[in-house]
Amino acid sequence: MGAITVDKADHLYWLGRYSERVYTTLKLYCDGYDSMLDADEDFYKALCVMLDIPNIYASREDFLQRYGYDRQDCNSIISNLARAYDNAIVMRDEIGTETLGYIQMAVYSMDAAVASDAPVILLQKVVDHLLAFWGCVDDQIDGYCIRGIMKFGKRVERLDLYLRFHMDPHEVRRIYHRMVPRARESQLPVNRAAMEALEGYMSAPELDYDGALGALMGILHV
Amino acid sequence: MHDICKEADAINEQLARYGVKFGIYKNGEFREQLFPFDAIPRVIGAEEFEYLEKGLKQRVTALNCFLQDIYTDKRIVKDGIIPPEFVYASSGYLPPCEGVRAPKGVASHISGIDLVQAKDGAWYILEDNLRVPSGASYPLIARGLCRRASPETFRERKIVDNRDYAQLLRRTMDHVNVGGDNVILTPGRYNAAFFEHSYLAELTDSVLVTGSDLFVENDFLYYTDMGGQKCRVGAVYRRISDEYLDPMSFLPESVIGVPHIFDVYKKGNVAIINAPGNGVADDKGIYYFVPKMVKYYLGEECITHNAPTYLPYYPEDMKYVLDKFDEIVIKDVAEAGGYGVVFGNKLTKAQKADMLALIKAQPRRFIAQDVIDFIDIDIMENGERVPRKADLRAFVLTGEDVTVWKSGLTRFSRDPDSFIVNSSQGGGFKDTWVLSR
Repeated sequence: MGAITVDKADHLYWLGRYSERVYTTLKLYCDGYDSMLDADEDFYKALCVMLDIPNIYASREDFLQRYGYDRQDCNSIISNLARAYDNAIVMRDEIGTETLGYIQMAVYSMDAAVASDAPVILLQKVVDHLLAFWGCVDDQIDGYCIRGIMKFGKRVERLDLYLRFHMDPHEVRRIYHRMVPRARESQLPVNRAAMEALEGYMSAPELDYDGALGALMGILHV
Repeated sequence: MHDICKEADAINEQLARYGVKFGIYKNGEFREQLFPFDAIPRVIGAEEFEYLEKGLKQRVTALNCFLQDIYTDKRIVKDGIIPPEFVYASSGYLPPCEGVRAPKGVASHISGIDLVQAKDGAWYILEDNLRVPSGASYPLIARGLCRRASPETFRERKIVDNRDYAQLLRRTMDHVNVGGDNVILTPGRYNAAFFEHSYLAELTDSVLVTGSDLFVENDFLYYTDMGGQKCRVGAVYRRISDEYLDPMSFLPESVIGVPHIFDVYKKGNVAIINAPGNGVADDKGIYYFVPKMVKYYLGEECITHNAPTYLPYYPEDMKYVLDKFDEIVIKDVAEAGGYGVVFGNKLTKAQKADMLALIKAQPRRFIAQDVIDFIDIDIMENGERVPRKADLRAFVLTGEDVTVWKSGLTRFSRDPDSFIVNSSQGGGFKDTWVLSR
């Protein structure tokens, strides 16, 4: 097998990011859905702030429909899954048909959820396929660098989301420490100054979420 | 014996899981469609395949001789076997290829030969595809799933394992590789056959690239890895048409090709699979002359049979076309994929008059063929076996030797009234079993 081209590295990285974005936001969406049933009808407004997306939704119902399943809404979960698929489908030769199959099945499960009268219960299948996808990445992809790039993307995305959600600092730092070795393994040209700045934020007694997020956004110019 | 047809849904579900699709543009919009698989196989006995194998090897060998000859010595034209206008008026004839000898004498490394079987059992060649024939990946991936779905079937019958296609292809690429990586050049994910491009890249351990990944420097072809290092390319299995391959030599508006790749090829610094210019040999007009090529280059009688074909270019054939219009099929030589095929008896009076006028005005543009009443093969539809028209694309790989893949793509029409089996026209596919005894 030859080397990985720049474009392919880009696709692998974003495949990692988008699949993680779908996974984490799906869990958030399902929790929010539950909360909005009877506890806090306007919870979606806070979710929009947490996700750093414009609140274009007219109501709770509008949010639940469009943020989940509207292909025209570029921030929706289904759109992010489509982006994961777009990056995966061109990587069959690197990640393998078996691994790609799990992203394909996540897409089918999402389509089935959209067509259902009870979509939320079916979203669990999307989550299952994404988890299986990452299991397959570990099990089937021999290329250290290929796996490293995807996992680096995954960890960057999770850290990005956790910083936006102002998650517990211990949890954020745990994710950060899982991301650092992936940066090395990916062999991507990481911006050292940004990495050092991020390290500084992570080791400070008080976590500056916005500062850390800014540094994170600068670690890779992809 | 276990009935594999009972597992058809499970197999199709797995094919969907693995993204076995083809792309199609309808009303200007790209859509991916699953390629429906029918579990009733086409079965070819050992003796019958032996005959086909012999004939196909002979045919492809002659076609390779023709391709070498036509861009160099042109003996076949000089000796009056093929009229020059059939060569030079062909849209597949590429003047820039003049004087270029394909490395190791192989221009058509992967040939897709379309055949049908008539009701009397005789096989007829419908067309030779020597540019970028696609379709091997479908029976290849389906076979693995069929074996899982119905192991008894494969234990109890002597079916030759067809899962060696990737090795055969890899060997073919390695044979002509001039030093460097093997790459598969795809127009991109919106190409109809992108599944196949990416799947074969995976199986052959080749690098899947688009035109923008490749560049020419000092007469060599490279791509750049993510660390900025240049990686030399030794063989390009290109899945884009000749005209788009190199904007400096062919269509200048091509944005999916690689500037100057043709110069590198001419200097012998990269192999291109299949060679540029092959279109002249799989032109529907040239098809008529293939049996003559076999005789001319190999001194043998042609084993395979062409469908009875008429060239309106010749006055006697024009007369036949006019007399028998309602019984023949007309094919536009410039079209492919089931397009440009007209059955005389399906036209209205006005359409018939228009078509005849067109044939008279541009006789070189069309060929006519007797309609072969080819055999139906059963497919399953709504739980019942129903007969449908089907063809067979056989794959012949030419490297150090000529090998006929012991399988093939059987395509069928889902429309009971149609002879057109192309996937782009709604058809499905079957596995092709070759029996070892």
